[in-house]
Amino acid sequence: MKRILPVEELARDERFVRVDLLSRMADARKPSDEDRKGSQAMRPDDAASSDGARALMHGIFMGEIQALEGAGRTCWDFDIGTAHDEAPFELKLDMARQCWDEARHVEISVKLNEWMGTEIGEFSESTFLYEAACNPDPVLRLTGVNRALEGLAIDIFSSMRSFGQLAGDPVLEFCEDWMLADEVTHVKMGSDWLRRITADDPERRKNALEFQKIVDKLFSLGGFRGDDDESPIKLARRFRELAGFDQAEIDEIADLAHQALEEAEARRAASYG
Amino acid sequence: MSTTVTPESFAMVDFDAARIVDVVEHLRGRLQLPDVDICIEVDETTPMGRVRLARLDPLTVRVESGALEDPKAPRQLSEPGAAEALGRLLLAAADRLDPAFGAPALDAELPGGVAMAWDVYGVARLGRAGYGVSQQRRRYHFRNRFGFTDRADRAFDRLWDGDDLRYEDLVAIAADAVSDESALTT
Repeated sequence: MKRILPVEELARDERFVRVDLLSRMADARKPSDEDRKGSQAMRPDDAASSDGARALMHGIFMGEIQALEGAGRTCWDFDIGTAHDEAPFELKLDMARQCWDEARHVEISVKLNEWMGTEIGEFSESTFLYEAACNPDPVLRLTGVNRALEGLAIDIFSSMRSFGQLAGDPVLEFCEDWMLADEVTHVKMGSDWLRRITADDPERRKNALEFQKIVDKLFSLGGFRGDDDESPIKLARRFRELAGFDQAEIDEIADLAHQALEEAEARRAASYG
Repeated sequence: MSTTVTPESFAMVDFDAARIVDVVEHLRGRLQLPDVDICIEVDETTPMGRVRLARLDPLTVRVESGALEDPKAPRQLSEPGAAEALGRLLLAAADRLDPAFGAPALDAELPGGVAMAWDVYGVARLGRAGYGVSQQRRRYHFRNRFGFTDRADRAFDRLWDGDDLRYEDLVAIAADAVSDESALTT
């Protein structure tokens, strides 16, 4: 079996359509000034929020599939050892445990999509999570995927759980809560392994955290994730603490999200000439 | 009777005005809409997806580009999506043009939840006319607005199965969907 499977070779049936990130970012349209002045948070009485939640849930479903594929690859792609292109056996064991969780999340997500009236493949797929999981250094994989992208998943699950609570939707609320608990564990695995593997290698730790920063900024999604109540996806500070982030690290993600918003605004302004 | 789409050409999305006209003409025939001129005004500067009836004479629908967009292909037109987004508004316009329906003036604010009840009634009729619509998607919207209760589900079913409903029926069903009618004032 091949090691480091390229993203193009992931198995998908005809229901799935991929759209690359560049194509998404090339969109010069922007919400109106009126839209941007109001709260961007999802509200149950707003039909647009219901459709927004559906699209987000489908995105979660795709993310769970890729997280399963990524953690599975990390079990397979490396020989057991301590070199930069090797992984300790216990790390692989954690990734195997994560595969178990992710497979269950895929099944939960399929049911949630049905509940919300969404068909599998109704929305396009972005493959950024799996792409971050192709890094040849296992520590960079864990910072890019477990700390950055699973960290984003914590923020998304927490926001979706709040939306379910507001709407009185017990199915959404409890499913998101169960998955959120697992995500905290996955992010903590990333935090713990980063510290263990790089304990005597400050340069490798610096590179790993730099990679995480790039992923975090990119996936603040132009300010879609932010630190205030008006953001569609709110930075879940408490759950991030539980997942091994310290306050300075959480503040830094909030700053990156703010920068991402400003840069997205500047890009949109420039596109209008 | 004419159908016009503005703008005639698009810069920020890859929409073709002629294809949108074709969608509206198909709806006009299939839904037996009244013989009136129809204007579709597309706001291509925003990816949002709101659709609203702006005027009845001429019948004018203002739509944000996201409502017509293919969710699998950024900035591309989805003809089925456009048929659903525009069709339910055109059916609501037809309701308003029928004096027997008893709709309030277009600029009158509807009681909370009535607009959503009207949407459900419109989408259900689109489905019966042969357009691909998702009942579960609409039920999810309705539950978010009215609650995840048997009472709300029964109200939804009355709207979905309803035929020849009048405005006063929509108001009554929306009121019936919630146990606490004060919720309708929000």
